[in-house]
Amino acid sequence: MAQQVSTNEIRGGYKVEVEGQPYIVVSNEFVKPGKGQAFNRIKLKHLMTSRVVEKTFKSGEKLDVANIEEMTMRMLYKEPDGVVFMDESNYEQHKLPLDSIGDVIQWLKEDLTYDIIFYNGQPVSLEPPTFLELKITETAPGVRGDTASGRVMKPATLETGAKIQVPIFVEEGEVIKVDTRTGDYVSRVS
Amino acid sequence: MRIPILKDRAALLAAARSFFASRGIVEVDCPILSPYASVDAHIDLIRAGTQYLHSSPEYGMKRLLCEGMGDIFQLSHVFRDGEHSAKHRPEFMMAEWYRVGMTFPELIEETLEFCRLFLGPVSSAQISYREAFKKYLGIDYFHLTTPELEEIVHKSGIPIYPEALQEGKDGLLNLLLGIIIEPQLGVGGFTVLTHYPASQAALAKTTLIDGEQVAERFEVYYEGVELANGYHELADPIDQRQRLIDANEMRKKNGKETLPIDEEFLKALEKGLPDCCGVAVGFDRLMMLRHQTNQIGHVIIT
Repeated sequence: MAQQVSTNEIRGGYKVEVEGQPYIVVSNEFVKPGKGQAFNRIKLKHLMTSRVVEKTFKSGEKLDVANIEEMTMRMLYKEPDGVVFMDESNYEQHKLPLDSIGDVIQWLKEDLTYDIIFYNGQPVSLEPPTFLELKITETAPGVRGDTASGRVMKPATLETGAKIQVPIFVEEGEVIKVDTRTGDYVSRVS
Repeated sequence: MRIPILKDRAALLAAARSFFASRGIVEVDCPILSPYASVDAHIDLIRAGTQYLHSSPEYGMKRLLCEGMGDIFQLSHVFRDGEHSAKHRPEFMMAEWYRVGMTFPELIEETLEFCRLFLGPVSSAQISYREAFKKYLGIDYFHLTTPELEEIVHKSGIPIYPEALQEGKDGLLNLLLGIIIEPQLGVGGFTVLTHYPASQAALAKTTLIDGEQVAERFEVYYEGVELANGYHELADPIDQRQRLIDANEMRKKNGKETLPIDEEFLKALEKGLPDCCGVAVGFDRLMMLRHQTNQIGHVIIT
């Protein structure tokens, strides 16, 4: 049987399972109007879709704790149907199917470590480091006069496949720092 | 920060006592530990051995009223299991008092005066429970069926949990009150909410208004915070027994333990409770508002 937690104990950050879906608790408010039944308003963020929903529960109700494990793993290599990571604590290899990786695929680089969330033993989400240093593999050369015409950014492709905007003075082959949450260029890395 | 607040708390305890003394209301200290619990559908008690810690000194005080003690007050810690939030603690302080022969409007006025000891000259406005639903939600629930009301809760974007539906209209009204109406009550001045549906007052007299059976019950709100709950007290022992049984039935339906009924209390009512009004005020809540904090932990000894 799943471990349970009472609405009285749930705090932000708890991971619970509601109607068979895994959520992270965003907030929990105890409400008891006058002599009425006490209830809790709980905001939940879906672990995979990040969609936030609000639910109410009778106060004292017990929710299932989601069977979730978080691990930091090193990326080894890509295959056509997935990406292979290694758990460095025991050198076990895990292949994550492409659908559990989603858009993060554009930030995957061999030999870097990533935070991976397993739900019921299945990988469901993958977090890249917030900042990555990556090489520009393709971008048009900066042209004199671009700045004067008001153009300051240009498209570039990074070694991981991510397509971002970089300042026009940055050239192909350079390593830059990028914010993976937004895909924004941060700085040159010299 | 902490020591000045605790000293101020002591000053307000003294001010409360002189407020009561100046009105001829006598202090009593009914036991906190009791073999009989207050039976309320939605208040859970904390057990102490084979007995309970009281959730209010109500029954003990009413027994004294029946013996002819006259106007009385108690400043007491009370206990309610499972109530945890920024403004709830399982142990908190309540000021509760009873006024023999006082009318319902007079007790409302006296309760506001008590609150002003803490908060200064705050204005007040009164609205009935039913009118509040008209004002804040544009509905007259009395003329709505349970499914119609359920639809309104849905449309308000409020998710309904199953046990709320078990209580029919009351459960749905409770959701709307707690989520939509309460935060808007008492903004810039006290709101006195009066005349609750009869089903929502275990110990109050009832009366008929606009076809609806309503309880002579009031609550005081300030800045969205519930401060006081008062009744024109029910004196009929037969009616009282039935309401205690009903409350236990509701507890059973909600999967809660049923509680023993205090026969001494009912026996006292049989001898005769004088016509009176009574109110319970959250002392810690008043201290929170006085010190402009939304954390009860800032105004009590933790």
